[in-house]
Amino acid sequence: MTEAVRAAVELFVNPSRLGMLAVGSGVGLLIGMLPGMGGIVAAAILLPFMLKLEPAAALAMVTGALAVVHTSDTITSVLIGAPGSAAAVPTMMEGHPMARRGEAARALAAAYLSSLVGGLIGALGLTLSIPIARPLVLSFGSPELFMLTVLGVSFAGSLLGKQPVKGLSAGLLGLLLGTVGPAPAAAEVRFAFGQVYLTDGIDLALVALGLFGVAEVVSLMARGGAVAQRTELGHGWWEGVRDVWRHRWLVLRGALIGMWAGVLPAIGATAGTLMAYGHAVATSRDRSRFGKGDVRGIIAPEAANNAVEAGDLVPTLLFGVPGGAPSAMILGALLAYGILPGPRIVTQHLDLIYTVVWSFALANVFGAGVMFAASPLLARLTSVPFHRIAPPIVLAMVLAAYQETQHFGDLVALVALGVVGYALKVTGWPRGPLLIGFVLSNPLERYYFLTVRLHPDPVDWLLRPGVMVIGLLVVAPFAWSAVRWVRARSQGAAPVARQPAGPATVATAAVLAVFAYAWWESRGFLPDAALMPVSVAAAGTVLTALQLVRELGGYGGPVEEEDELAAQDGGAGRRVRRAAGYLLSLVVYVAATYFLGLRWASALWSLWMLRAVARLGWPGSVAYTAAMVLGLELLASVLGVHLPRGRLGL
Amino acid sequence: MTKRGLCAVVLAVLLVALPAAGQQPYYAGKTIEIIVPFAPGGGSDIDARFFAPFLEKYVPGNPRVLVRNMPGGGSILGANFFAENARADGTQLLVTSGSTMIPYILGVPQVRYDPAKWELIKVNGVGGVLYVSPRTGVRRPEDLARPAERLVYGGISATGLDLVTLLLFEVLGLDVRVVMGFEGRGPARLAFERGETNIDYQTTPAYLSQVVPLVREGKAVPVLSMGFVNEKGVMVRDPSAPDLPSAYEAYQVLFKRKPDGLLRWKAYQSMVAAAFTFQKAMWAPGGTPPEALQALRSAIDRMKLDPQFREQGRQVLEGYEVLRGDTAKAAVLRATRVTLDVKKYITDLLRSKYQVRL
Repeated sequence: MTEAVRAAVELFVNPSRLGMLAVGSGVGLLIGMLPGMGGIVAAAILLPFMLKLEPAAALAMVTGALAVVHTSDTITSVLIGAPGSAAAVPTMMEGHPMARRGEAARALAAAYLSSLVGGLIGALGLTLSIPIARPLVLSFGSPELFMLTVLGVSFAGSLLGKQPVKGLSAGLLGLLLGTVGPAPAAAEVRFAFGQVYLTDGIDLALVALGLFGVAEVVSLMARGGAVAQRTELGHGWWEGVRDVWRHRWLVLRGALIGMWAGVLPAIGATAGTLMAYGHAVATSRDRSRFGKGDVRGIIAPEAANNAVEAGDLVPTLLFGVPGGAPSAMILGALLAYGILPGPRIVTQHLDLIYTVVWSFALANVFGAGVMFAASPLLARLTSVPFHRIAPPIVLAMVLAAYQETQHFGDLVALVALGVVGYALKVTGWPRGPLLIGFVLSNPLERYYFLTVRLHPDPVDWLLRPGVMVIGLLVVAPFAWSAVRWVRARSQGAAPVARQPAGPATVATAAVLAVFAYAWWESRGFLPDAALMPVSVAAAGTVLTALQLVRELGGYGGPVEEEDELAAQDGGAGRRVRRAAGYLLSLVVYVAATYFLGLRWASALWSLWMLRAVARLGWPGSVAYTAAMVLGLELLASVLGVHLPRGRLGL
Repeated sequence: MTKRGLCAVVLAVLLVALPAAGQQPYYAGKTIEIIVPFAPGGGSDIDARFFAPFLEKYVPGNPRVLVRNMPGGGSILGANFFAENARADGTQLLVTSGSTMIPYILGVPQVRYDPAKWELIKVNGVGGVLYVSPRTGVRRPEDLARPAERLVYGGISATGLDLVTLLLFEVLGLDVRVVMGFEGRGPARLAFERGETNIDYQTTPAYLSQVVPLVREGKAVPVLSMGFVNEKGVMVRDPSAPDLPSAYEAYQVLFKRKPDGLLRWKAYQSMVAAAFTFQKAMWAPGGTPPEALQALRSAIDRMKLDPQFREQGRQVLEGYEVLRGDTAKAAVLRATRVTLDVKKYITDLLRSKYQVRL
């Protein structure tokens, strides 16, 4: 503990370290604001400078950046509905509807404050747990890690929405999407359709950007007007602060979930945040507001996502096993300083560990503080007509997508996932369970096979105390729901209104076709590669077939769009047609990028958007587009961001 | 053309070209892009990012050096991209790893690159150390034949770097239960520490930082090093783990004869060379101008004298020498060319024992 105090004092009295910390968090905030860009980009930018500094200052800088990238990615998530990272999806699902109601300031304030507190709890937890973290982490064997992934998947159970069958099928669809690429337990690449691009699987950042970001932006464009549909904007900031205080225990629980998801291998940052969200829903009495802008759905995941980054430092520093790419890059930089992560770091470099921990805490206060103060100002963005801000947002998303693997496939995947995301959105398929399924698909399958292979006798692992405790946590909520369901049933259920089969039925049929095809296709896989996709696809086929039959019979239940305000506007059909047009324009945009390169394609798309849709005058449109392309060049030259080049070499 | 006209043309060319050549180095004002066909944070990424600032410093003209990650297909995608699209003017380079070379050697159909057509800039290697849990009762290589409990090994996938370990088990005739499916060598090492596996290997840098403390606590016992293939094609001890017998010596202790000439030994040794000894290679496309290659290769020579390079390289390179591309190219290419019988032996082994269809 004395080491911890000394490190803190040294950090605070050393102006160069403090300065580097400020620089790092500044860069982190800026990068985090761009949708789809996060820790990897920030670490890549800072790395060359790191090598020129002394170790403690360098660590302060990069920790500062990583501590706040998830703080500022809240902005686009809440204001535009484009999640800044996959971990920001829950914030987007709850915060964006709030922004549409004119409560952007409240949502942002609540998000930043819980982010700040969550980060501090994470740092405190780290300080306390470093001496015991090693034996603790090692006490989780493959069976326990497998059960943790099961627990994670079960959290999707609280996000199923009004139509549990659709929710379950969506979760299965996510699991299936996650099986694309190499099978973890057998030498087989699945569902790649001969495309080398798909042989590593689909990237998580692309799934978040496409399914949620593109879908939301297109839907906003189709709706027209500003994001916020009410005019009074300034209020709510103080309300957000009070929300956090009212739900202070939720903040604590969210932070603890996030921290442990970061500390333990197998779960990962995004799943930790989603689990915190699921936990918030599961433990709330009144769940009717979730998905429509419930502030509790912001508080828990925001408290978790900064704590995840803190927790992630434990395996990185103590075991040399980084939880994500950013921490892996820090690891590489540490090597160049002769600092070897691993068992010896606690005895040899404890002061550095605490420097990291305190930098993390301080950066959190700084980052969240800045954003918190700025949130009333940022909230005003929601009153600008959306068509006018759409071009730079779309460009930023396309650019971010391309940074994933820097192959053209990234852009195709982005738009394809965007089309799917929009279709699911308007036909009432909840995308929350889908994302959880996707994120946990690979760890679930991997740790299942590791468990049964390392412990061939099922009794041997099923009776481990850790497995039984986690198993109980998995089963308990379902048992509770069953009890409630039986009680509600004995009181007599409300009659279901007949709904004619509509466009939603087409979507259900399409999902059924996907499951059925995957089932048929995966029969040919090696047995250990087939188990997961076959069981997922079989369950999905049965469930969606059931749903289809019900819908055709008129008992499918009402299609509820995730956004209550949408229902007020009568012209839903017209809106969907407009959205389809915009999606088509994105397809053309990407095709144009293939030939003309990103610069020219973006310029043309932006000009069309501003002239034909936003109805800006020629001079305005041209100047705006030119400024945007200039910004693009600046990003490319300053940050070293790569721009897709076209076949024509532009 | 008249003689006088020819003279004039030659003179004009010289007048234009000489000052340019004298004052402006080839790379002045240029940007070099190092393509890493893996995600950020991996070994190849760390290697590229370590070299980047020293290339900036030592390539004449001080070009800007950027690292560009193009992951996908287990590095096949990025290497294919490089083979098909790279500019042959020395401004685009590629870093490859052992896992880029293994699919090339095995003739995986998606591979569209051929390192023989590229120019090697530098290559540096790494070794590996095999260690066991004390529960196995194994202290020395000769004990491997009679462990106190069944050996269990945790791997990632049979077609990656684990292939080398699998071949080693074949060479030494070990009965090992192989469990594939780990995300990486780090998580596999955690499983060893938890007692779920009892035989494991780590690259020598990871071994020195992560496993040596366990050895001191009596929780791990090092047995042998994977060995290092020198420029004569002979397997020697790992320079970073000189106290441990190499796999070559281990075979001799176990079987009282030399393994040379055995098919499985040939397969093992060529894979050690391709996947470990020459693991991190940096390439330029074929047809890159000689002055560019010269500038890059001599920069490698010069940075090796830089005390800062040595200091920082102690951990990143872990005592393994960085070889200049033109001197090492023949040995590297020799390592990637295996005879047909070796290739058939490997594919048969993978198919029959590890359910791999190639």
